[in-house]
Amino acid sequence: MRFALSEDQALLRDSTRAFCERELPLERTRVVMEHAREGYEPGPWRQLAEMGYLGLPLPASAGGQGLGAIELAVVCEELGRVCAPGPYLDAVLAASLLAVAGREALAAEVAAGRRLVVLARHDSPWGGVPAAPVRLAGGRVRGTKYFVPFAAAADALLVTTPAGVALVEAPFATTPLETIDLAQRFGAVTLDHAAALVGPPDLLEDVDRLAAVGAAATLLGVMTRSLELTLDYVRTRHAFNRPIGAFQALQHRMADMLLRTESTRSAVYRAAWCRDAGAPETVLACAAAKAYAGDAARMVCGSAIQLHGGIGFTWELDLHVFFKRAKTLEQHYGATETQLARALAAAGY
Amino acid sequence: MDLHLTERHRAFRDELRGWLGANLERPWREVLRDPAATEDGLITARRAWQRKLHGAGYLGMDWPAEWGGRGGGAVEQSILDAELLEADAPPILNTLGINLLGPALIHHGSEEQRRRFIPPMLAADEIWCQGFSEPGAGSDLASLKTSAVLDGDDFVLNGQKVWTTFGPWADWIFVLARTDPKDRYGGISFILCKLDTPGVTVRPLRQITGESEFGEVFFEDARVPRANLVGGIGEGWRIAMTVLAYERGAISLGQAVQYGRDLGRLAAACREIGREDAATREKLARLVVENEVMRANGIRTLANLADGKAPGPEASIEKIFWSEFDQRFRETALDLLGPGGQLVRTSPEARVDCDWARQFLWSRAETIFSGSSEVQRNIIAKRVLRLPQDPR
Repeated sequence: MRFALSEDQALLRDSTRAFCERELPLERTRVVMEHAREGYEPGPWRQLAEMGYLGLPLPASAGGQGLGAIELAVVCEELGRVCAPGPYLDAVLAASLLAVAGREALAAEVAAGRRLVVLARHDSPWGGVPAAPVRLAGGRVRGTKYFVPFAAAADALLVTTPAGVALVEAPFATTPLETIDLAQRFGAVTLDHAAALVGPPDLLEDVDRLAAVGAAATLLGVMTRSLELTLDYVRTRHAFNRPIGAFQALQHRMADMLLRTESTRSAVYRAAWCRDAGAPETVLACAAAKAYAGDAARMVCGSAIQLHGGIGFTWELDLHVFFKRAKTLEQHYGATETQLARALAAAGY
Repeated sequence: MDLHLTERHRAFRDELRGWLGANLERPWREVLRDPAATEDGLITARRAWQRKLHGAGYLGMDWPAEWGGRGGGAVEQSILDAELLEADAPPILNTLGINLLGPALIHHGSEEQRRRFIPPMLAADEIWCQGFSEPGAGSDLASLKTSAVLDGDDFVLNGQKVWTTFGPWADWIFVLARTDPKDRYGGISFILCKLDTPGVTVRPLRQITGESEFGEVFFEDARVPRANLVGGIGEGWRIAMTVLAYERGAISLGQAVQYGRDLGRLAAACREIGREDAATREKLARLVVENEVMRANGIRTLANLADGKAPGPEASIEKIFWSEFDQRFRETALDLLGPGGQLVRTSPEARVDCDWARQFLWSRAETIFSGSSEVQRNIIAKRVLRLPQDPR
């Protein structure tokens, strides 16, 4: 038994961190937030593709690396540390779905970064039961999908419908949906398009697990970095003639931040391992990891703002970027309510 | 990463399961509900069970072979703990002896002390209690005042210990006593004292559960042979701290098994009483999620132990997590069950699946014993986060 990453996995972590520090530092995320309409920069994106990151968990037959959810988690955690902009997880999930559906050629195109395909899942911008889900009938998809990630840049969409997943090619009529997280661009896409059925709804099973692990791992990176920034700050900021980190009220809050962060780490990597090992508890472990990570990240990133005081509430400081990304990830890739329902069903209750 | 048990550990678990299937007569919860089960009767049952376990070689497993160990390690120990809970076996009676004093004797005791005390400890012939806390020394344990003054070949003990778990049934107590009033840490010694020594009085304390599992112990000029000193004079604090590290081993795994089983019972009970609304389901789901995360923490610790990594202060994270989770769990259970959840176990109307009322009350102890949640957060702040310390 071993919880620590293998040598190869640790190498992947180190090289990804070095790449992020060089090509995707948080300052670039800030630039993207303010200026880039696509929501990401083509340069680093191309490099991610060239390094094979977009095809990490895909079989070699689909142009992938033949790795698993653990490696996906390693990369997502690092991208979370810098709140990297761009449709990384979205592209990986779409490519995985295409590979599972036997569409290896298109999966390979996505993995190579030549075409961007993303999943379009939300039938309403709001929670609750959508009034009119997008339907597939007579070879056409009709209706509107909301919160399609990076819709404006997508070459094709994998649209979920009650009949199954349908592939729809651009061009689309896209309305931007600007949210609190300016480095995660979303759009509403109104569809009346010819569509090809890619597979039945249960095709999403493994994609749902990868989505939960990938998003939870990103959240892990987001909260780890928030905690690090906070620990740096409380050591240098002085009040009442001592570093504020010496105050017990603050220490206990930071102890709780660490508890949530490290517990998320246990849950994320255990879930990833379960998925790769084909363990029977995979569904439960993945759902639990994502549900817990969403709550934990909100608490940790919120506490980071609290412990910084007024400066923590400024646009200038980076903490809000983490706080916003945490909320976005919590509500996407299987929102907490979805994961709770999955966990309960998987536990047999 | 590899979270599979190794072949050897799987074989150990399977063998243990087989043994439990053949030797555990009935689940502990049934014994507890027996109207004839007095507190003394339960102690007798636990004594018998411990002897059985010892006879089969399942106690002190990670100790050296000459003391009953089986060359196993912390992984086997964690598997044993989890499987005993899974099978709902009686709790091991002499836990304080085995978990705390045993390691202290093995690492710090003399050869004569090991020979004299370990065999009857394992066989449940001598039950041990722990004399650490005092009325004036709880979380600030080093401020303890019970004194031990050398007089010829004896120590003379004076003072009072409190919250002494198993005090009312124990035969012996291991005491932290002050041998030097001027040296806060270096003035503490670790001394073994028989409870029927003249000058020693044990008084049971009734707990909020109504049980008297713990008590208080008074020392009035009690004479203890110098040979009962473990380690040297003034080494008591160091011994106690290494021993307490054992107490906080990889226990999340066993807790997840135990709470997971009770969670299943709670879910079944909710169905039975017609409570299947969305709010109930969300509450249950949140408990399931937290229990899974706790299990993941336990698996991580187990894997680290198997990988040769010693448990560090991160154990504080596990202690806070499981104890505070159990409180939320038991509170939610009573909320969902309604007033019937408060019925005491001997009430004919009480549910037979779990003693919900007792567990609700018991969970309050969990965030206090073995280092309170507050002490654990201090440990994390100081030793894990390495935050600056306020001058005290």
